[in-house]
Order: sequence, then C-alpha cells, then structure tokens
Amino acid sequence: MEGAAVDRRSDAPAVNAPMLNLRDITKRFGATQALEGVSLTLRAGRVHALLGENGAGKSTLIKIMTGVHQPDHGEMLLAGRPLRLASAAEAQRHGIAAIYQEPLLFPDLNVAENIFISHQDRGAVTNWRQMFRRAEEILASLGVALDVRSPARGLTLAAQQSVEIAKAISLNVRVLIMDEPTASLSSHEVAQLFKLVRDLREKDVAILFVSHRMEEVFEIADDVTVFRDGRLISTRPRAEVTPQRAIADMVGREMGLLQPRSPAKLGEKLLSVRGLGRDGAFEDVSFDLRRGEVLGFAGLIGAGRTDVGLALFGIEPATSGQIVLDGRAVTIRSPRQAMALGIAYSSEDRRQLGLSLPMSIATNITLPVLSRYLNWLGLVRTGMERATAEAFRRRLAIRTPSVDIAVSKLSGGNQQKVMLSKWLNTHPALLILDEPTRGIDVGAKAEVHAIIGELAAEGIGIIMISSDLPEVLAMSDRVLVMREGRQMAVLDRDGADQESVMAAAMGQSTARQPSGAEA
Amino acid sequence: MTWLRRRIRPEQIREFSLLLLIVVAVLIFGSAIDNYYTSRTFNRIASSVMIITVVAVGQTLVVLTRNIDLSVGSIVGCTAYVAGVRIAADNGLPAIVPVLIAVALGAAMGAINGVLVAWGRVPSIIVTLGTLAIFRGLLVDYSGARTVTTDSLPPWLVDLPRLDLFTLAGLHVKVMVALALAIVIAFQLATSYLTFARQFYALGSNPDAADLIGLPTRRIVLTAFVLSGALSGLAGFMTLARFGNITVEAGRGLELEVVAAAVVGGVNIFGGSGTVIGAMLGGVMIGTLEQSLLRLQINEFWRDAVMGLLILLAVASDAVILKRLRALWARADLEMIARSAPRTGEAP
Repeated sequence: MEGAAVDRRSDAPAVNAPMLNLRDITKRFGATQALEGVSLTLRAGRVHALLGENGAGKSTLIKIMTGVHQPDHGEMLLAGRPLRLASAAEAQRHGIAAIYQEPLLFPDLNVAENIFISHQDRGAVTNWRQMFRRAEEILASLGVALDVRSPARGLTLAAQQSVEIAKAISLNVRVLIMDEPTASLSSHEVAQLFKLVRDLREKDVAILFVSHRMEEVFEIADDVTVFRDGRLISTRPRAEVTPQRAIADMVGREMGLLQPRSPAKLGEKLLSVRGLGRDGAFEDVSFDLRRGEVLGFAGLIGAGRTDVGLALFGIEPATSGQIVLDGRAVTIRSPRQAMALGIAYSSEDRRQLGLSLPMSIATNITLPVLSRYLNWLGLVRTGMERATAEAFRRRLAIRTPSVDIAVSKLSGGNQQKVMLSKWLNTHPALLILDEPTRGIDVGAKAEVHAIIGELAAEGIGIIMISSDLPEVLAMSDRVLVMREGRQMAVLDRDGADQESVMAAAMGQSTARQPSGAEA
Repeated sequence: MTWLRRRIRPEQIREFSLLLLIVVAVLIFGSAIDNYYTSRTFNRIASSVMIITVVAVGQTLVVLTRNIDLSVGSIVGCTAYVAGVRIAADNGLPAIVPVLIAVALGAAMGAINGVLVAWGRVPSIIVTLGTLAIFRGLLVDYSGARTVTTDSLPPWLVDLPRLDLFTLAGLHVKVMVALALAIVIAFQLATSYLTFARQFYALGSNPDAADLIGLPTRRIVLTAFVLSGALSGLAGFMTLARFGNITVEAGRGLELEVVAAAVVGGVNIFGGSGTVIGAMLGGVMIGTLEQSLLRLQINEFWRDAVMGLLILLAVASDAVILKRLRALWARADLEMIARSAPRTGEAP
C-alpha cells in the first residue's frame, strides 16, 4: 500500500492525503446517544468501508458528513480546512455527495436534468442541447448506456445509481458516501457498480462505503471501520481484517460466519410443480418440495424468482404448467385461494407490500386471518389479537416494549420477524420467503436463520428466495437456480457452492441436473 | 423514426392527443349544430376560455409543486371588485392603474396562501379552502353587498372585450384573447427553460430529494402561490372588463373549472408533471364543451352531468393513450439496448 502511494506522489494531489477528517464527533437525539467521540479519516483515492449493525450510528455519521445534521461536539476538516455544514446543499458545494440505497432522483425529470439539477452554475436559462451533450459525455465516460432524454421514472435501481454517480462526478465530488448502494442490486449490477467505484478511486475521490454484505466490503475496501452503539470500535487496513474479526467487532462477541443449517428430517412430498410459467415472466419451472425442506431460489435480480413466488401465491397467477399440492392438482388464482390451500408468501418489499407500517404489531400479525378474531357482532377481539401477538413476540424474540407499538418504530430485523409472525399465524404448510434478511443487521439475520431452521424442523416446506448467496447455500437443502425466467439447475446440498450456483445464474452451465424434477 | 423517438417523449405528445380530442369534439358538435363553424362560435369559446386559461396557468404552477390553490375564484372576485370600485371612482385614471391594482392585490393574497403553506406547514388544500371563504367574506364586508355597474366604468374599459387586435381570415382575434395567449406562451417558455421554474417540477416530483439537494423549496412554493394570485388578479381585471357588472358573487366556483382545466390538460394532480400549454388546451376543451352544449340547448342540470362525463372520458382516454405510447417507447428502448448489448458485453 505505502509503496504505491510513494510512487505516485510526484504528481499533485498527493495520493492518500487525508481528504475528510472527523474529530471527536458527538451527537445526541433526546435520550439516545447516536454518536460518541467518533474520529475518522477518509483519504483521497481510498475506499473506506463502514460496518455496523443497524442503529450503530452509521446513518447519523453520514447525515453529519452530508450536512443534514450538525454535530453537538467535535469538528470536521476538509482537505485540512475546518468545515461547517449548515445544509446538505452546502456539503454538495464542498464536493461531498452521498448515494443512498434508494436513489433520490426526480422521476418526472429526464436523466440529464437529474444529473445537473443541483448545479449552481447551470445559469438562469437552461440550454437543453448543451445539457444533453454534457450528460451523454459523463455517462459515456462511465461506460453506461442510458438515454439522457428519458425520464428517470422507470429506470432500474442500478441505472438510477449510475445517474447518481454521474451527478456526483459532474459536481467534481471529492468525498463520495455510498450508503448500502448494493442492497437491491443483482451481482452483475454490483460488479458494474464496483467498476465505477474503482474508477472514482483512481480519480482520487475519497469513498465511504457502507454495506451489510461482508463479501463486498472485502472485495472493494482499502480500509475497514467498525461501529457499535455509536462508537468507533476499530479501523484497520483491509489486509489486517478477517470477516470473522469484523463481525466480532460489530456484535461485540466472537461469532462464526454463516453456519450451515443442520438438515432437517424430510417428510413426504408437499409440492410438485411441473412446467410452470407465466407469459413474459418465466417459463418451464419444475421442482418438488418435501415437508421440512428448504429449497433455495438463487439467481440474479430479475431472473424471475419472485415471479414464481407470486405465481404460487396467486398474485400473478401462472398461465401454464401444473401445481400439485399434497397430492391434489390445484390452480391458484388469488392470494385468498392460496392462503386457503396453506400457502404463505412473505414479500421482499417489507415496507410497501409486507407490512402496514403505521399499524401496531398485533394488528399486522392478525390481518390476513382477521376473521378468526371476530366476535359475534363482527368486531375484533383485541384481547385475543394481543394474546396471539404476545405469543409470537416470545417465540420469535421480537424486541419491542409492547405489541401495541406501530411497526414503523421497529428496526428492520424486528419488522421482518413481525412479517414472519403474520404469515406463520396463517398456519401455512408451504412458506415462501422472498429476501427474508434483506437490509437487516447481522444479529437479526442470524436469528431469522434460526427461525427458518426451526420452521423447517416443524415440517413446513420452505421456498427461500434470496440474493445473498452465502445465505442460500447455508440454509438450503437444495438450490434452484434461475436465469432470465428459466430454471437453470437444481443443485443438491453437496453439489451447490458459490461457483456452481453463480455459473448457473450467469448462464455458463446450461446442463440441468437430473435431480431437478425428481429428488 | 429512431431519431424522432429519441427527441420526443410520450409525455410531450399528450398535448397532441388532447388537441386531437378537441378536434374530434368540434367535428361532432359541428355536425349536430347548424352554423357551428362561424367566427361567432370561435369568439364565444375564446372569450369564455380566456379567463379560465389565465387562472389555470397559475394553478398549473401551484399543482406542479404538489399543492393546490382553491382560493383563485375568490381572488378573481376580490380583485375585479376592488379594481372596479377604483376606476369607477375616477374614470380618468390611466388604463394601467386598475390592471396593476388587480395584479398586486392578487399577488398579495397569493402570498398569504404561500406563506401559510410553505412556512406554516399547513396542507395547501386546507389553507386555500380557508382563504377561499375568508377572501369572499372580506369582499362581502368591504363591498357592503353593493355592485360595480357597467355605467360607472369608463368607455374604454367597457369596449375592451370587443377590441380586435387583428382579423385573420374572418376570425377576430380580441386583445384580451391575445393577452391570455401571450401569457400561456410566456409561462410555457419559462417553465421549459428557466432554471428556477424547472425546480417547480423537481419539487413536485420528489420533495424529499429537493430538500436534500438544497433547492429553496419554501421560496418555490411561495413563488407559485404569488404567481397564481397575480394571474388570478389579472383574470379579475379581465372579468371586470368582460362583464362590467361585478357583484360579490363574481368568480364564485371558478376554482373547480380551473382545476378541471389543468387536470384535463394532463397536469398531474400529485405534482411534478404537466405543462402550461396542456392546461390551456384543457381549458379550451372545457370551454368548447360548455359553449357547444349550451348551443344544443341541453337542460342546465344535464349539461353539468354531461360535462363531468366528458371530462372523465377525456382524462381516461388520455391515460390510455399515454400508456400505449409509453409501452411503445419502452419496447423500442429495449430493442435499442438489445442491439447495443453485444458490443458492451465484449468490453470487459
């Protein structure tokens, strides 16, 4: 590392010079100590990863660096000069930009205008031709093919992030903060994003990279900092950190990486799917699922995995193929019908489709089967509702002062547990979990994994759709890999590893394993 | 075709689809009404549309920012009356004085709305529902329920609605119609090219992001309401000129026609998209229907119902057309990407 730095020092600016210094930053919100005495240095041309469980203070730190919040105590230096930020706009003027998991674009404005919207030097009158040309130049330099005249509405998340990066580049960004930018991207898109990040590093941008995905952190980062409970626990060069070490710092205890789930005893055949398809979404998907089995659905985002789940739950019914459930041929046309057949589907989109955020934990859990909780007048028996919620709170260790609290007040991990409770309360025989651990912290993730293991052991057949490959491999008895709406392979536990699954997902191996339809 | 598609987006064609609907409506009414294609019909529609249009331009600016201004009818009434009283008291005043009085008073009333919405953080529908009643109440109190009458006004003002700017192929283009058209063109250009005006779209499209990148969101909202008030003031003056007799009822109910014009014109009621020209075409559509149904001598109560139905139809067909166009564009984009894919695939 040091050698490389010395070699390139002849040309100004000095490589690895401190770009942004944070000294003794402290921030309090009411009774919550969000940050305590945090000192951190971001250097030009280095990617600095920030790890920590939800609530460790990462978001607060980002908001202070981008001028959204002001620290109670401590100071910031930008390239050696004291920096006081009163607003996000001021941070941007100083060349500090942030990219979030959900890009903050203007859906009605076109790509070019989104890139240049916050430019102070845009002038009073917009020269559209010049703006389109400059936007095209920047996107071309990034190797991104986008129509600069098309509205941002309808762009994929990956494309939106490319626009955000183009925006940062157009602002001559010196410090780029990336807050979980990969959480919703497929591996292919992550690879493209990382290429952009490396380009920016070459241009001596100081990058702060926040992610929950350990593999990514170790792929892209030069330095790794771990936060816990508002304090900085450790900062080390990547070479001196191991994933186990970082996780230990995050949770404050030694903890293994994903332990493979001990396989449950498989029961009789629960579900048999043959040649399932929906026009334009996926086709010819065939697999079997036994009671107590976890079938992982792997593949890139957009591969059609969620569409299979939606078809089995009747939200977007299949247009071809057969479904045999418990030895009976069924056609599933609506979620109501699916629920009556003992199928539950926990959505990947917790906030939009999974939970009613302003409603309480108890009302969320009982919502799909509310008719069970009605008295003879047709009114909801809240006592019974609360009793059910309390039972799930104990069973899944939902951390909340009360089941009457609005779900929006819970952390992501606890929200996920509420969603699981909601579907378990329908007493499903088949549980479809779509991205059950997306965006939740390491500790909660391990708990969700343990719950999934228990449910399988109780004899529930589980389909687990996940973009987190190590998770799929650790949890699944078998892995079904999809690519572009087609089933590429069904791999046994022994045959499935990162390489074989990725190879199938990328379409490098078209051989369908004979075990696919049998098992 | 590819070149054309890259330069024109579906959202820009929606105005054309509305224009097409207006032409269809005119053809239908033309076949049902004798002597429909005359300059008299044109004038009637034009002078009924011009006031709605001027107010609808301001309304569009407000709606773009995810707000709504329901007080415009009351502002039109107030400004028409106050300007009328002033010019009636002194017929020798220069023409510009009543115009300025109406515009300035309207702007001040709009500023009250804007401050309450932007700084008071009260939803605009509540603020303007309140000022709708308050402004009307103030007018009743100030006027003592007296009326401005035509014979108290100077002759130039009474004759203004009949004054032609020019005559083209038998069509008499009135000064006031031309004024409304000039305002539409000016604001269309401003909202397309002025950087500050582009921020109206940004704010309505994603208020959180607008805040985060430091757009002056409060100033944008205030500006929108002030402009809406000022344009309503100008419309108040036009109302004074057109009708001459101004009672406390002047402009009552106008807000609904104006909002309808904007919505029919494709201005998204949830902010962020729509154009000034679209709002004008929406106004023309509504004005054409109104005047034509009047000529068909349809019962007044049925007329409102038919109007409502036709508005729903216009909006629905507009949505269908836009959806079709978007699908067409998306498919073409996919093809474009598919064609360029092999090249980008080899790059790394």
